[in-house]
Order: sequence, then C-alpha cells, then structure tokens
Amino acid sequence: MSKAICKGLRSPIRSLINLRRAKTISTSLVHNETILVKNNEEFVNKVMNNDKPVIVNFHAEWCEPCKILTPKLKELIEPLDNLDLAIVDVEDNAELVHTFEVKAVPAVIAVKNGLIVDKFIGLVDADMITNLIDRMSGKKKPS
Amino acid sequence: MAPIDGTFDYDLAVIGGGSGGLACAKEAVNHGARVAVLDYVTPSPQGTKWGLGGTCVNVGCIPKKLMHQAALLGESIHEAISYGWEVPSPDAIKINWSALTEAVQNHIKSVNWVTRVDLRDKKIEYINGLGEFKDPHTLVATLKNGTKRELTARNIVIAVGGRPHYPDIPGALEYCISSDDIFSLGHPPGKTLVVGAGYIGLECAGFLNSLGFSATVLVRSVPLRGFDQQMALMVTNEMEERGVAFHHKCIPLSVEKLESGQLKARWQNTETGEQAEDVFDTVLMATGRYALTKALNLPAAGVTAVTGSGKIAAQTEQTDVAHVYAVGDVLEGRPELTPVAIHAGRLLARRLFADGLQHMDYENVATTVFTPLEYGCVGLSEEAALDRYGEESIEVYHAFYKPTEFFIPQRNIRNCYLKAVAERGGAQRVLGLHFVGPVAGEVIQGFAAAIKCGLTMEQLMNTVGIHPTVAEEFTRLNITKRSGKDPNPASCCS
Repeated sequence: MSKAICKGLRSPIRSLINLRRAKTISTSLVHNETILVKNNEEFVNKVMNNDKPVIVNFHAEWCEPCKILTPKLKELIEPLDNLDLAIVDVEDNAELVHTFEVKAVPAVIAVKNGLIVDKFIGLVDADMITNLIDRMSGKKKPS
Repeated sequence: MAPIDGTFDYDLAVIGGGSGGLACAKEAVNHGARVAVLDYVTPSPQGTKWGLGGTCVNVGCIPKKLMHQAALLGESIHEAISYGWEVPSPDAIKINWSALTEAVQNHIKSVNWVTRVDLRDKKIEYINGLGEFKDPHTLVATLKNGTKRELTARNIVIAVGGRPHYPDIPGALEYCISSDDIFSLGHPPGKTLVVGAGYIGLECAGFLNSLGFSATVLVRSVPLRGFDQQMALMVTNEMEERGVAFHHKCIPLSVEKLESGQLKARWQNTETGEQAEDVFDTVLMATGRYALTKALNLPAAGVTAVTGSGKIAAQTEQTDVAHVYAVGDVLEGRPELTPVAIHAGRLLARRLFADGLQHMDYENVATTVFTPLEYGCVGLSEEAALDRYGEESIEVYHAFYKPTEFFIPQRNIRNCYLKAVAERGGAQRVLGLHFVGPVAGEVIQGFAAAIKCGLTMEQLMNTVGIHPTVAEEFTRLNITKRSGKDPNPASCCS
C-alpha cells in the first residue's frame, strides 16, 4: 500500500524540491518542537530535508475534527525525539494544499527522507494514529 | 482594447464568484475554455465581509437554513418532552448565540475553502478584485491593496448579484444591520425590529423569534409581495401566533442611538398617518436588494440594456453587446434563486463552448420560504392564475390538514394548509401548487418535476399517497373552493 502511495505522490515532491531554496539554512532543532509551516521554503527545509521522519498535519481553524486531531498529534509526537510534527494551516499554504491534493481536512501525510510514505484523511481512530506514529518512529516494522 | 491579432487573455471572464458565476465558469472549463473569475466583497455599512462563493454560501441560503434549523431544533427539544424524553430543566434551555454563529461561520469558511481549492484544481484563475469594464473586451480588477489588474476576454459574463438596499432615513446606514451582518453578528441580537416583510425579513424575524429574541416586523404594503397572498397570510398568522409582532402599512422614519446603546426606531402608518416608536437592541433592514451594476461601468462596454432598477434586461442571458452576458440575481424579471442562477450559468457555458442549444426555462421554478412554518410553492399563485385564465376557467382544490406528529405535542395546526390551482376543463392541468407546513421544501420539490411533465389533477388524484406524511395531502385533495364545502379534515386515514 505504501509503495503505491509513494509512486503516485513522488512527482509532487519533486516539484517542491525544485522550488528555490531559502537563502538561510535553518539548523536542525535539538529538542522536538512542532513545526508551524508558513511557506513553501519552510516546508522544504524543515520537512523534506529533515533527517527525521515528519508527520505533516493539514489543519484548518474552522474544522471541528481538526481541533480534536491536531492536539492529539501534538500530545503523542512532541515527547518523541526521533519523529517531528509539522502543522500546515490550509488557509496560509494554498500551494502545498494543491501539491499534495488535499481536498478535505484534517489530512495527515507521513514524510520520510523527502518521500511520502503514508496518508490518511479525516479524523481516524486513536489506534490508527498510534500505529502510524510507531511505524514512523521506528518502533514497528513498516507494513 | 481587443488585441489586433484577436487573441484574448481568456475565452471567458466571469465577474462575480457566486452561484451563477462559478457554475458558468466550471462548466466552461469542462469544455476546454480558459476562464478567469473575479470576485470581490465590498464591506457592508457595518463592516462585514466574506470569502468566495457569493451571497448564497456566505450571507444567504446556507447560513439562513442553518439558523432556521437551529430554531427548529430548539422547538424540538421542548416537543420531545411530550414524547417521553426526560429533559432536565426545560426552562433553562436557551441559545448560545456565539456558539451558533461560530458553528455557522466555520461551515461557511469550509465551503469558501473547498470552492477555492476547486477553482485551483480546475485551473480557473481566481482574481480577488472588484471588476469593471474598460472597453467591451477589457476588464480592470481593483484588488484590496489598491493595485489594478487588466485582462481581456472573448466572452464576459456579468454575475455580480445584488446587495441589501437601505431606506434613505436618518440612522439607517449608521446603526442598522442587514442580512449581510446577522449571520456573523458579534453579539446576540436581542430585541429586534425587522423592516421589510419579503421572504428575507420574514425568515430572519422567524428564526430570531424562535431562538428567543423578540421580533417585530414593519410591513410596508403586504407580506411576501408577489407570492400567493392567501398562503402569505397563513405564514404571517403562524408567526404572529408564535409571538412575532407585525405592524402593517408602516414605513420606517428614523433610527437613533440612545445613550444605553439601544436603538430607538420611529415609524409611520401610511394609512392612518399615526406615528409610533419603540426601543430595540437591533434594527435589521430587509427592504429589498439592488443589482450591483453601477460599479461595472457598463457604458464602457456599450451595454445599455439596464432597467431603472439597475438590473440587466437579457431574455436569453445575452445583453445588447453580443459577447457580454448576464446570469443570476442581476437579471431583470427572473427568479432570484441560486438553483436558477446555477442552471442558467451552466446552460450558457454549454451554448458558448459546447455547441449547446438549450435555453433556460424560467417557468415553474419551485421555491420555499423558510419561515418557522415553511411555505413551499411551484407554478402560478391563485391571483396570477385568475388573472391569466379568468375565474371561470380555473379550479382551486384546497384542504387544511393535521400532521400526525403535531398531535402529541399539541402543535398549532390552524395554518397547515395546501392548495392546487388547476385548469377547470379536461384533465385539469395543474398550474400551481402551494403548501404551508413542516419541511415544505422537501414536499414541493418532487411536484416541481411532476408539473414539468404536465401534471393534471386527474393524475394527482390517482396518485397513491405515502402514509403518514404531510406530502400525501396533495394526493388527497378533492374539495374545491367553488363547492364551498368545508376544507377541514374530519379525521386521519379516511
């Protein structure tokens, strides 16, 4: 299942990588803070070029399920030091929304070494979330 | 200026990103056109603005229906008690206005976003600027920051819709709100005066009253002018019986702000000359809507088919300038309804880009007024039918009815009424159907298709109803007004 997703979504990643890189290079964070993505450059630097895998959460303030999922993701991921969480507000990041074909929120995309390895849409149950986090942080073998 | 070599920036430029404009734009790209949509919301006098999607999505149908639903649910909680639900402290049940407006606005924002994503996916260029004509093929869009953007298009569709009209009286613009503002009002409206008794005024007064905010309506001439007046009376009777105050034949004179922050409104009865006044927390103007054609600079396009009211006269949506079209509320003499604008917009796009031949049929368009007890109708009012065919050639079947669900909570059935206006001769072709009752919109919709097929009373009477529903009452119609017999039901099921 992951392979098919990777295949289908590889080209959007390429088009993002081809974006002009930011002039300043951000240093990797020592402790694990949630990344609030404000623009494409930030996404490329902190998500695509991140050594650690990143869970990318597409979020909207007007979306009730997002208000449940986003805090839950923060709660589960912030304590981990080998997995990052990036939050993309869909109102501020129209291009990212378009690139990742996000048609509904909440949407969660798992990125590892610049590739999309998983994706889910909507408020899924706690098991699916912890499962994904375990896989991404290396606790479980990928399916 | 149109480029000399005939190439335009776009095949189609649509001014107005509402129901009509977006439907036309999306249909056009389906047939390979390059399309741009201009949309801009000039803030209301009170400063309210909103996103892409037009009146319906932001300050019309959608928030209206949601607030109507909120009002109905409030009533349902109380009715539930009679059905055996144990509701702790029924007297303490009240609406949290900010929770309601937040939920409504969140939904609207989600629709704004999906609309924008959809335009982007379909590769329709969206320009958030106020559009006007520079010449027949050139538009200038003025963006929020003042910058201007020019674009040329082979075809242009005007779908700018309208905005609420304010009476020219002291205090109107300064202190009063309109439907532009009510759905996102930052504080509970409190005791409200609604000026105007068209469907917007009545729907607002209706849900405000049901939500617990006292509502008073000033009616200049008659309520729901243009609609069947017997049915309009049922609607207003029901509202009165629920506590909405009506002042008939009254026009507003002034609105002043008191030290307390409340508003003192003065009005005059045009028949007796008597003046009256009262203090309100909110005054909502619902005195009609005007088309936004003035800002378009139509003379620059050469379009002159504009009526006194500012609307555009275009029988087949084509103006007097061949490549300039109009769709939606901006059109003269057409129903100001979202589905009408959408359908007309789509058919127009097909005619422009897909060799389509079909024209919009504006006859027999069904609609519903979402007052607390709803009024749904399709076809001619009784007055219009009498006018067109004469009393001798018309037969009106009517009945009062009692919805099954109303008995237990002892809901008022006095205004549950329906009628069919038909030709008197032959199989009696149905000319109009009218229904006041719960879920009127759901009841009438199917009958609109039946009327399109040429429904006759004979067919209607031979249709077996679904029991127990309110819609089945149409199949039970058998008493004519002409017979003088009592249209009140004896009992259920016989």
